Amino acid sequence: MNRNGRFWRSSDGGRKSPAGSSNAGNENGSGTSGLSAVLDETLDNIRNELGNSPDLKIRHVLLPGMVPVKAAAVHFSELANSDSVNQFVIGSLLEVSVDNFRDGKGGSTNLPDYILNRALEIGQASRMEVWNDALLALLSGETLILLDGYSAVISCETTGGEWRAVGEPSSQLVVRGPKDSFVESVATNVSLIRRRIKSSKLRLEYMKIGSVTQTYVALMYIQDTVDDKLLAEVKLRLNRIKIDAVLESGYIEELIQDKTFTPFPTIYNTERPDSAVANLLEGRVVLIVDGTPFILVLPAVFTQFFQSSDDYAQRFDISLLMRIIRYISFIVLMLGPAVYIALTTYHYEMIPTTLLISLLAQRENVPFPAFVEALLMEGAIEILREAGVRMPRAVGQTVSVVGALILGQAVVEAGIITPVMVIVVALTGIASFAIPAYNMSIAGRLIRFVFLFLAGMFGFFGITLGMIVLVAHMNSLRSFGIPYLSPIVPPSLKSRKDTILRLPLWAKGASKSRHTTRVSVPSGKKITSGHEENLSPKIPEEHAETTGPMEGRDQHE
Amino acid sequence: MNKGSVKIGLFEIFTLTLLFELGTALVVNLGMESGKDAWLSILIGDCIGLFVFVGYAFLYRRYPKLSLTGYTRKLLGKYIGAVVAVLYVILFMNLAGRDLRDGSTMLVMATMHRTPLFIISVLMILSCAYVLHKGVEVLARTSLIFGVIVLSIGIFCTILLVLSGSIDINHLLPMLENGIQPVLSSVVHQNFMFPFGEMISFTMLMPYLSNRKKGPWVIGATMFLSGLLLSFTMALNISVLGADIAKRSPLPLMPTISKISISDFIQRVDILVVMVLIIGVFFKMAVFFAAALVGLSELFNLPYRKMVYPVSLIILFTSMLDARSFTEHLQEGGKLLYTVYPVFMLLFPAILILLSFIRGHRSPPRSG
Repeated sequence: MNRNGRFWRSSDGGRKSPAGSSNAGNENGSGTSGLSAVLDETLDNIRNELGNSPDLKIRHVLLPGMVPVKAAAVHFSELANSDSVNQFVIGSLLEVSVDNFRDGKGGSTNLPDYILNRALEIGQASRMEVWNDALLALLSGETLILLDGYSAVISCETTGGEWRAVGEPSSQLVVRGPKDSFVESVATNVSLIRRRIKSSKLRLEYMKIGSVTQTYVALMYIQDTVDDKLLAEVKLRLNRIKIDAVLESGYIEELIQDKTFTPFPTIYNTERPDSAVANLLEGRVVLIVDGTPFILVLPAVFTQFFQSSDDYAQRFDISLLMRIIRYISFIVLMLGPAVYIALTTYHYEMIPTTLLISLLAQRENVPFPAFVEALLMEGAIEILREAGVRMPRAVGQTVSVVGALILGQAVVEAGIITPVMVIVVALTGIASFAIPAYNMSIAGRLIRFVFLFLAGMFGFFGITLGMIVLVAHMNSLRSFGIPYLSPIVPPSLKSRKDTILRLPLWAKGASKSRHTTRVSVPSGKKITSGHEENLSPKIPEEHAETTGPMEGRDQHE
Repeated sequence: MNKGSVKIGLFEIFTLTLLFELGTALVVNLGMESGKDAWLSILIGDCIGLFVFVGYAFLYRRYPKLSLTGYTRKLLGKYIGAVVAVLYVILFMNLAGRDLRDGSTMLVMATMHRTPLFIISVLMILSCAYVLHKGVEVLARTSLIFGVIVLSIGIFCTILLVLSGSIDINHLLPMLENGIQPVLSSVVHQNFMFPFGEMISFTMLMPYLSNRKKGPWVIGATMFLSGLLLSFTMALNISVLGADIAKRSPLPLMPTISKISISDFIQRVDILVVMVLIIGVFFKMAVFFAAALVGLSELFNLPYRKMVYPVSLIILFTSMLDARSFTEHLQEGGKLLYTVYPVFMLLFPAILILLSFIRGHRSPPRSG
């Protein structure tokens, strides 16, 4: 529950047990105390602490010699890889002779050190003295070697268990480009990134978040490319998190983002390693959370959510067109029904006369005003979409047939909705899928309803004012100190070549701009406050201890 | 407000000035007192306005970290200065209120015939308050995007007007039909104050400029450019409609734009003018609003954000109560333009410049 429950280690050595940590505070009986030197007592303590769990396996070994020493190897059968436990831990133990140690051949004065240095045939092992560290190591799938008469234990890296294999991404598809996707295991995800950047500058740091779940969070960045202020701020915000459980990267996202009350995502997430790598090369920080294939990329600006990694695999001309189409579809998604309502209710003089006549002829049989019509249809399409996400695969056909029939034809024939409204609503529905980032299209869907109301009540006046407020709101957003509309406002011509549009790689400087532009925090800005001075950053400095937003979550869990 | 953190860049001040100047002036029949030579009187007004602005820029150069109310108190002394500063705050609120009334009434006239004036004003002032609650920096950045939108609407409409062949240059001829006198009288009555003299409100925002050297130059250049644009628009109105109709129409740009018709497909794009009107009124009012807020928070040492909603309430009621009808409102505005406003926009700044000269010479000699 406190800061000690987490630790920082700059390790390039991959996944490792918390050897370097001072202690792991977990307010129960034994706490941070040392381990007992009596083997049976320690084993009893472990059993009691874990509630006599049946998957806790204890293997007793007798180390032979003039004065034999009793030893035990403890591991969880479901978490550890039984092959490596049997072969390397227990196998090595059986070959240890206490006499060799007594002879001084091992060069150690201490039996645990001797075993660690001379006997174990395993890649990673460390010595532990503190109860909580040992327990955490055990719960992470490592094997503990306990020796009678010594209070130190040896923890061996035997983590195993089942993970999903690397597969194709399910939410961010491309036509051309790598087909691998992140998985739930943080180790695999790190390897997917490391394989793509063979640079010594690539840095990896681990930390654990969640006082109960102790979830591994890996922080990756490229030294010298990343802004130091950004990095320090990310670490600071991660350290401030107080939460019991982290089950998805969304938890972390919500707790470290700059501002709470906005529909717009200010942290990018992806399940594509190539996208993560491209962002790393641009100087961004990547957070990988154990247990989810969705990694976080920060800071994120608005235009980033309209980029897809196959923009860079295709020729620039078609990519340019596709990007423009994505922006247009976002506008259609937000404003489509609103503009239609405004036109038909307030400003019908703008519609060409012949079209207006046919529109009015359609409307003749419909009892509702256009606003109610749009609200009904938009509501229906949201229901359909939600049903489509949740429904079991087997009934998928039914939903799509019923949905298409009801929404497409029956409503029109029954005289509830005009056909044009069906077209408009269908268009916004399709447009929402044209945006590569799902969380950005959610934002658009929410904002669409606001504009619907504004247009229904005030026509184009409402829409224009809504647009001004929306743009002002987006201008007030910051993602880790970077203005959200960054390359557009405040304008920076250099980075605009790639972020908004996609210019060919041979265009002057474009080849650089994709991969070496630093995301730099504007000088003179405090990153901590989201923007100027009104914003309460997600975690205020001192008051957070009592009334932080995490408090509610704690109770919720 | 914390001056260290708020910064307005050059692009942003460019678009903010542009939107402020175009604001309502783009849509109304500006300088129509001089008939078909309205465009000329706008240009002359622009030049006078630039000259006046040089004075403001001089004061800014002298006190780059202070706003108008700041150096007023410095130069006029604690008490007189405070009184004058309060008067300026009232002026800015009044200007914002008048602008709100202008905008709302024009909207009612143009499209929202059956929506109550009050509702439109409330919506407008609320969104303005929201934006200013986010800060002056956000306002300036937002203006960048809408400045681009307004400019592209302008270019689009001009091209369409040219293509649909409704422009008749002969409507502008002969120049100076009745001599120079009507032009000059229009300049004196209207054009040298509206919209160029209103740049006084920028003296409250200039301390936030990120580039102290180029900032005033950019503002000046933008003033000149927007004068050209206004004059061009007025000439366009007259050449399409003829001086007679343009003079009688309260919003001559609307009938002008509605002349656009391209093969019966693109027609009646006057909603674009309404959009320009809304954007212009919004930013103009927001600048006055911001100027009043900055002045208030400096004078009384109050946090800027706490003042947003009370001040918006004051502006709303000023706009609603200032006249019983739009005609009265215009009448009143016309009088204010050459009686009250020059005192604030010319006289006080002139006194301040004089005082700062005297101070500058009488101040103790610098070492070395």
